[in-house]
Amino acid sequence: MPVLFFICFLIVWELLVIFLRFPEYLLPQPSKILNEIFANSGRFLMHTGITMFEAVMGYLIANISGFLVAVVFAHNRTIEKGFYPYAIALKTTPIIAMAPLLILWFGTGIASKIVASAIVCFFPILVNTVRGLRAVDEGSLDLFRSYYASRWQIFTKLSLPTALPYVFSALKISTGLAVVGAIVGEFVGANKGIGYVILVSTYHLETVTMFAGIIMSALIGVLFFWAVSLIEKKVVFWQESEGGF
Amino acid sequence: MMNRIIKARGLSKYYGRLHVLDRISFDASEGEFISIIGPSGCGKTTLLKIIGGLISSIKGEITIRDNPAGLALKRRDIGFVFQNPNLLPWRNSLENIGLPLEIIGKNDLSMTDPKKLLKLVGLEGFEDAYPKELSGGMQQRVAIARALTFEPLILLMDEPFGALDEITRNKMNLELLRIWEKEKTTISVIIFVTHSIPEAVFLSDKVIVLSKRPAKIEKIVDIGLPRPRKTDIKHSDKYVEYVECVRKILKED
Repeated sequence: MPVLFFICFLIVWELLVIFLRFPEYLLPQPSKILNEIFANSGRFLMHTGITMFEAVMGYLIANISGFLVAVVFAHNRTIEKGFYPYAIALKTTPIIAMAPLLILWFGTGIASKIVASAIVCFFPILVNTVRGLRAVDEGSLDLFRSYYASRWQIFTKLSLPTALPYVFSALKISTGLAVVGAIVGEFVGANKGIGYVILVSTYHLETVTMFAGIIMSALIGVLFFWAVSLIEKKVVFWQESEGGF
Repeated sequence: MMNRIIKARGLSKYYGRLHVLDRISFDASEGEFISIIGPSGCGKTTLLKIIGGLISSIKGEITIRDNPAGLALKRRDIGFVFQNPNLLPWRNSLENIGLPLEIIGKNDLSMTDPKKLLKLVGLEGFEDAYPKELSGGMQQRVAIARALTFEPLILLMDEPFGALDEITRNKMNLELLRIWEKEKTTISVIIFVTHSIPEAVFLSDKVIVLSKRPAKIEKIVDIGLPRPRKTDIKHSDKYVEYVECVRKILKED
């Protein structure tokens, strides 16, 4: 059904542009955009691949380290209280404000984009994992205590599975954020990637290319989200996932 | 005299300034089914957790076979069934029943086969069912089977059927009696917390009636009804008398 709606949307768009004679530099026909993508597929795939790689790397680094930090936070209130304000500060600072600094520190290559992507992905996983690990109910905890279970057993057999739905909700949210981080990094300083393609096309008023870039960047996010949702269904099989495609 | 399993002497419990339990003393001997009844919020659950060694900062003395309750917990002599079945949603029936075995370590003693236990509680064929696929009554049966896996000496039940409808509850009472009276298990004492007077009388050998908070023992009523018990015992004069007797004690409070 969503596909059908999308095709209708494209047709209406196409017809509107033709009949209302929009100038191409403002709103090109979708057929021209698609043609652009297929005609230069090699170029687009290369740039999309680079952005995707940056996003996925940043995503992985942030989620693995964020998860580990969350485990420490969940078990130690003192450490949590000491560091939490800084995590909040990191969250509230706009990534676009930090991007020039990241370019200065990590160069115009992919490293700075990976870092930008990691920074925006770090917060959701941290907050959700801490919340998930604390979501264990008192009754289940009593049950484990009545077996004289060790702290490690309580963690692996109770807290961790309880936290998994929360973890996955963060994993899904940050798929989109990861792409945003990478593209913001590319806007500020890069010579590759889909963000770079979009930026350059604005200088030359190549609106068709710009649209093609936007579509590719959306495609990365959708693919990424879809892949994580698929894994979620396999791992957190006991819970109906909220939202999603 | 019969073999004494549980000895409670002068148990008192404070939560900060809140006085919950006031000098509770009783004995439980081998083969006794004891119910604890009292007004809601009087501290029945707290008392059960003290008996089971889950709460240890108390005044007074609680021993299981002459050892402190905490030691009995460590030795896995105590099985709990809570009001909420607390099944883990990511495990099927069989895996939920097997949870205690995993935690204790399987080569520790000869443990009961989870499949047999599932049959014992009348859930044969539901091995692969996940908790969300089971009704409330079925979930509680799984929880009972789970409490039996490591062959405990004492079964502590905290309003296990409180959340069930009347019909299911009566059925579960009969099921529990069947397991208690006819099946061979390691359990020698059941302590059963409930809100329902008929349920307490129907199941028990002794009913401990608690007052409102701070809970004292109002009276311990011996239920002299023969075993094995069937539903028709509820029509006997003696049963009705016991129910009235417990009701009066609760009302006077």
